[in-house]
Amino acid sequence: MQIKSSRREIKSIDLLPLINVVFLLILFVLIAGRPTTNHPAQIEVATSARESQYQGAPFSVHLRQDDLFYLADGQQVTLGELADRVIALGLPAQGLAVELLADRRAHAKPLLQFRRAMAKAGIGEIRLKTQYDGVDARSSK
Amino acid sequence: MQLAPRRKKPTMMGLTPLIDMIFLLLLFFLLGSDFVTYGQSRLSPPRGTGGDDSASRPAIVTLAANGGLQWNGTKISDTALGDKARAALAKDAEQLFVLMPNGQANVQQVSDIMDVLVLAGAQSVTLERDIFDIDLADF
Repeated sequence: MQIKSSRREIKSIDLLPLINVVFLLILFVLIAGRPTTNHPAQIEVATSARESQYQGAPFSVHLRQDDLFYLADGQQVTLGELADRVIALGLPAQGLAVELLADRRAHAKPLLQFRRAMAKAGIGEIRLKTQYDGVDARSSK
Repeated sequence: MQLAPRRKKPTMMGLTPLIDMIFLLLLFFLLGSDFVTYGQSRLSPPRGTGGDDSASRPAIVTLAANGGLQWNGTKISDTALGDKARAALAKDAEQLFVLMPNGQANVQQVSDIMDVLVLAGAQSVTLERDIFDIDLADF
């Protein structure tokens, strides 16, 4: 009597479901995600309970936790230099806004000084960038 | 001589490079994407009424460093702020709100108060250092 070998043949694993799932994951990330914004790692943007449309602005200023102002390229600037730059770019003449990317831990004093300096330079609107978290920060305290 | 017809054996396509590429794409998009929803709070410029007497005076909200609030000089709770703002806006839809944070308050506290005001329907919220900075000729 011939006894069949108990060894099974090694079949190749069907990879098509894996490929399908990975393609679906790529699609999900593509649709649900956006390219990462180039925030400096030091800045933690203030959270907001209010969902608002983010529009951005042609000129962006960073206020870090150390209460100092920086340009998007990381160069530290004074408020006077910022005002000069804004005027040189012609933002007040075109009625354009300035975006402020402020660290949530920074103090209000430089924020007030910035608002004042921009108003003097002729900037009408300042857009304070926030991050929507859907939680009312004051009520959750 | 009899030649056997050449039959090519159907070879299985190598899927490993494809899978490698797909995984690399997935990694790229996962690391390069951002799922955070950004928004923005608009700080209005100091806005005058051009001497129009019918316009209401700005509502002044003072924020202390410890988070305490005042509405036109009177202490107010967080929850009452929204009600006060809604009542003011019911009288004048273009009511201007001047937020005066203490210099030691932080940006998050300022953002929270602006949220409360905007959620109440405020169109114009501006920041001032103190009451003497407000140009009363504007209002």
